[in-house]
Amino acid sequence: MESLFERYRNLVVLLTLLLAQIVGLAMQVHRGESGHMSVDPRDSKGVRLLRLWADMVVSPPERLFHGIAEGTSNYWGNYFDLRHVREQNQQLQATVDRLRLEQAALLEDAQQGQRLQAILKFQEKYIYKTLPVQVIGTSGSEQSRAFFIDKGSDSGVERDMAVITADGIVGKVRDVFPRTAQVLAVNDQSSGAGVILETTRIRGILRGNAVGQPQIVGLMADSRIKPGERVLTAGGDEIFPRGLPVGTVKEVVPDPDQDGFIKVIVQPAAHLDRLDEVLVITSIQPRFPPDQQQDIATSEAEKGPEAEQENAQQKASEVLAERLPGLIEPNLPADQQPLNDDTNPNPVSRPPMPIHPDRFTPGANPNTDETGGPATAPAANSPDTAAPKPAAPAKSPAKPASKPQRNP
Amino acid sequence: MSVLMADARRDLEIHRYPVLIYAFIPLVALVLQAWLPRLLGQYAWFDLPLVVTVYFALGRRSPIQGTIMGCAVGLFEDALSHHAIGINGIAKTVAGFLAASVGIRIDVENRIIRVGLIFLLSLLSSALCVFVNRFLLGLALEVRWLTELFIAIGNSVIALVAFPFLDRFQSRD
Repeated sequence: MESLFERYRNLVVLLTLLLAQIVGLAMQVHRGESGHMSVDPRDSKGVRLLRLWADMVVSPPERLFHGIAEGTSNYWGNYFDLRHVREQNQQLQATVDRLRLEQAALLEDAQQGQRLQAILKFQEKYIYKTLPVQVIGTSGSEQSRAFFIDKGSDSGVERDMAVITADGIVGKVRDVFPRTAQVLAVNDQSSGAGVILETTRIRGILRGNAVGQPQIVGLMADSRIKPGERVLTAGGDEIFPRGLPVGTVKEVVPDPDQDGFIKVIVQPAAHLDRLDEVLVITSIQPRFPPDQQQDIATSEAEKGPEAEQENAQQKASEVLAERLPGLIEPNLPADQQPLNDDTNPNPVSRPPMPIHPDRFTPGANPNTDETGGPATAPAANSPDTAAPKPAAPAKSPAKPASKPQRNP
Repeated sequence: MSVLMADARRDLEIHRYPVLIYAFIPLVALVLQAWLPRLLGQYAWFDLPLVVTVYFALGRRSPIQGTIMGCAVGLFEDALSHHAIGINGIAKTVAGFLAASVGIRIDVENRIIRVGLIFLLSLLSSALCVFVNRFLLGLALEVRWLTELFIAIGNSVIALVAFPFLDRFQSRD
């Protein structure tokens, strides 16, 4: 027996290791409710320990590389940036002021929306708090679109938190370690995010394909879906808040596996291949967060005197418009025009008489010859002449009075 | 031709390295494999852990050592991904075993053989990953074979440069 083992020890070692790994794999997969096999997203203790060890070994050098690369690139970048920082600061301050005013203007609409949602018993969730993190490494595998960030459970990162950039969604936290966390990108084949097409309001599930392109799968063929349409998060997956940008429709292709179904290839809004700094949404709440509320209050306060003044002016204009009759009521005959109404207790002051009236003066005789000196001066107190007569257009001097007669 | 065949295998030298090199080089390969795709994006067409596994398996000419190193490196790669642990492990275990077994029989000092071998083992490793995913685990995993071909070519190019560099770490008795 010993000699047999000695003779085939290479093969024995190979088969033993292979068998052990196959058994280990069998313990990690399970059949889902749909009947498909899938890897258990919740790692067992042993698997999690392996992942933790691997992370502990790889993360420190990755941080070091990342730090060196960042430091080197920032060294010169900071110098050039600082040259224009004062000007940029002024521009940003102006932008902040403008945005505060705009935010205050939108507040009323948002609050009304919240009230309506409360009536409908639907709660919109707002991004309450985000944590900026750095991407320090990837999984290193073509088939695994996952990456590591430099903050973990010590910083409040938890599993299934959404990860975004200012451009759009990126992925969700899959595994959390004390000082790092693994994020599964939306373009991975095993990811899933509820999305909605902005214009057509068609909902679907977003996941990646073999080449790392996000695509919406399981859609019935629909001719309304066109390239260029925006794709937003639908908010039904309990991970991404509703309305975040996902990308735009790049292409609509038939699903080769399912007749009558299509795949919508999405051009992601976030640069998933070149991620550097991302935001982890650490909290979402059904109302505005305090800092935003404070911003709104500040902008309201800043906007207050200006807004009050504008409101007062607008109200005064409206009151005057109600009280003052129009100078000309097109539906009334000339003798009943407001300017000629003697029964009005608040008569409208008549316009002063011109010193040198011409043919454009209200009440001037349109038939008066232009060259004939002053037109017939309207009587100062004659209502007939003081009131404008819109129904009688001035005769154009260029227009001939009659058709020219032909000489026989 | 005799240089390449089993008759000449007694003359083949077994490469030896300082102990730390066995740990340090695979670790560097794993870290670079995890970090470089951040810079290169979708064009990270290489598998440095596989290159290192094949290198040590060819140099040591010990199937057991090649198998164990392939297994360890593959499991480590799996632990960094979100996939089940063991997929890359199985692929690189087989790759390490085959590389060492071939190393016993042929002269792997020849560059063309090294490059050809790493190219074939890269494709084999990819095929094994697909086999494990689809047939052993029943997972629906799409694979773009063109990318796998590029990875095999990338590994071959890297091997051309890296193998002579790594040869410098050999212990001279």
